[in-house]
Amino acid sequence: MTTMSSTSTSRDDTAPKERTGSPVALRDLRRRFATTTALDGFSLDLEPGEFVALLGPSGCGKTTALRVLAGFETPDEGSVWVDGADVTGVPAQRRDMGMVFQSYSLFPNLSAHDNVAFGLRLRRVSGAERRRRAGELLELVGLAEHRSKFPHQLSGGQQQRVALARALAIEPRVLLLDEPLSALDAKVRAELRDQIRFLQRRLSITTLFVTHDQEEALSMADRVAVMYNGRAEQIAAPAELYARPTTAFVAEFVGITSRIPVVRRDDHHVELLGAVVPVRGQLGAGTGNLEALVRPEDLAVRRSDEGPAVIVNRSFLGSMTRLEVAFGSTMIKVDVAHRTSEELPHLARVDFEVVAPDLLVSSAR
Amino acid sequence: MVTVLDTGGVVPSVSQRRWRARLSRGLILWIFGFYVLAPLYAGARFALQNDNGNFSFHSVAVIPAQAGFTDAFWYSTRLAVVTVIGVLLLVVPTIVYAHLRAPAVRPVLEVISLLPIVFPPIVLILGFMHTAPTWLLIWPYHLAVLYVVISLPFVYRSLDAGLLALDLGTLVEAGRSLGARITTIVWRVILPNLSSALVSSVALVVALVYSEYTMASFQVTPTLPVWIAQFSLSDGHITTAAAMLSLVGAWILLAVVLVADLGRLQWRQRRAQK
Repeated sequence: MTTMSSTSTSRDDTAPKERTGSPVALRDLRRRFATTTALDGFSLDLEPGEFVALLGPSGCGKTTALRVLAGFETPDEGSVWVDGADVTGVPAQRRDMGMVFQSYSLFPNLSAHDNVAFGLRLRRVSGAERRRRAGELLELVGLAEHRSKFPHQLSGGQQQRVALARALAIEPRVLLLDEPLSALDAKVRAELRDQIRFLQRRLSITTLFVTHDQEEALSMADRVAVMYNGRAEQIAAPAELYARPTTAFVAEFVGITSRIPVVRRDDHHVELLGAVVPVRGQLGAGTGNLEALVRPEDLAVRRSDEGPAVIVNRSFLGSMTRLEVAFGSTMIKVDVAHRTSEELPHLARVDFEVVAPDLLVSSAR
Repeated sequence: MVTVLDTGGVVPSVSQRRWRARLSRGLILWIFGFYVLAPLYAGARFALQNDNGNFSFHSVAVIPAQAGFTDAFWYSTRLAVVTVIGVLLLVVPTIVYAHLRAPAVRPVLEVISLLPIVFPPIVLILGFMHTAPTWLLIWPYHLAVLYVVISLPFVYRSLDAGLLALDLGTLVEAGRSLGARITTIVWRVILPNLSSALVSSVALVVALVYSEYTMASFQVTPTLPVWIAQFSLSDGHITTAAAMLSLVGAWILLAVVLVADLGRLQWRQRRAQK
């Protein structure tokens, strides 16, 4: 359990603390809805105090997994463990999990203060203590002066902060965030993203966060589970997920990827753009065409009048410029530092250099 | 090629368009207001004007003293209370359950709730009198059972609209995640957010009970509409005043509930400020 010991919102308090949240384990979950398989043997472990994001396209099962953990869905098979206890059959209201929903979900008939105090009242916390803790949490999310306002008097971002305070007020064993930022505009989303991460670290609360926005997942989570067809394709820290995806789906879903035809040299090497490059893992025994999944920073380009490729598009991205280079019928994205991009104008011919230490290779589409 | 719309050579100015819009709005409001208020005005005028054409509140003042009025009024009031309790106990759990757990049943419920409009009241009362068990028929408020049936279309639709305006599923899940049972959520979250729908339902039921005549005329104890019909044979001014009073009473009841609801919200806001 976490406790609220201070109302300070100082950013100096963001140093990692000893993790005190509850460990969570989702074991081989299966859930079908009519003809759709939402979860197909999904498993995930959350360390105490860890922030894990479930990332994936619509219909991949991420929200179902969260709802199973919350107790709103019962799995057809598999089990849910919190603090070492099997809670698969425990109803949602007895799981002690705070949840923030996409659609705010504040009770319209209650003020911000009463919304935050709702869970405390159910736990028969005394009136004075209830007011103190609700006030403390509203101050923590920067809404102390809005305590008497009703949900319809608050903006979307404010409502979501109240919802966060309400979820934290009950000192939950696990915090569940179901796309809490999707309904907000970009600026508020960025602010609230920082605030959620700050509070999660400060309270050291085990958190499962569902999102389809890879930027959110990669910037907030300790680990990200990329889901596809009801299964976890890869569970890894954001940097590892981006740099070393283990499947073609992860490589293409997270970040930008170009598919480039390669020629097999042996079980561990392929020829890409004239260079022999190590393969991540080992190539299978198949004889079909292969493609390398290449990040924009895995390649370097230099201007060459005899080069095999042509720059067909340039996109300014601040410190970087993204080039789209036509190599025969293949379009390849390459990032170059903005300062050097002036040497690479539109329709210039270029040559490639592979700078990645190894590459993920998969069957051609 | 550009197509030019033929405006007939006359394009109204901005001020003309605004004037026309105001005129249209005003006309619509006047027609609507006339349609609603004209019968009320006619009733009030007939009730307050004596045979000599002079206005006075005599007809209103003497109502309580008329034989049978007080009994009829209080009987109707008790019937209204029993009907309101009955219809809310029947509809609220059903409709909340349908919205939460069985949304596919909602269209069926909607059709069922409309059936009482199809059956004439005389059919309902005769069927009821011939098939209801004796213990129910001797219950003084058995008429409320039928009033529950005929008020279903209004109450169901009002509450259905109220529930559709809420994100019910998410509110229930939010409540459950905070530790609330479904009964607590219904009591503390759903019903308070349905207060407008509940108030309008109650007002409609009360108005219906104070005005239903066909079924009530079969009863031994006369209700207010039956008393009005009977007494109108002796004094039309007084009975019209009584009918107008029952209408005003329903409005006052509605206003009291609305003010109470507003007061409750303001009290919550003040308490949160402390």
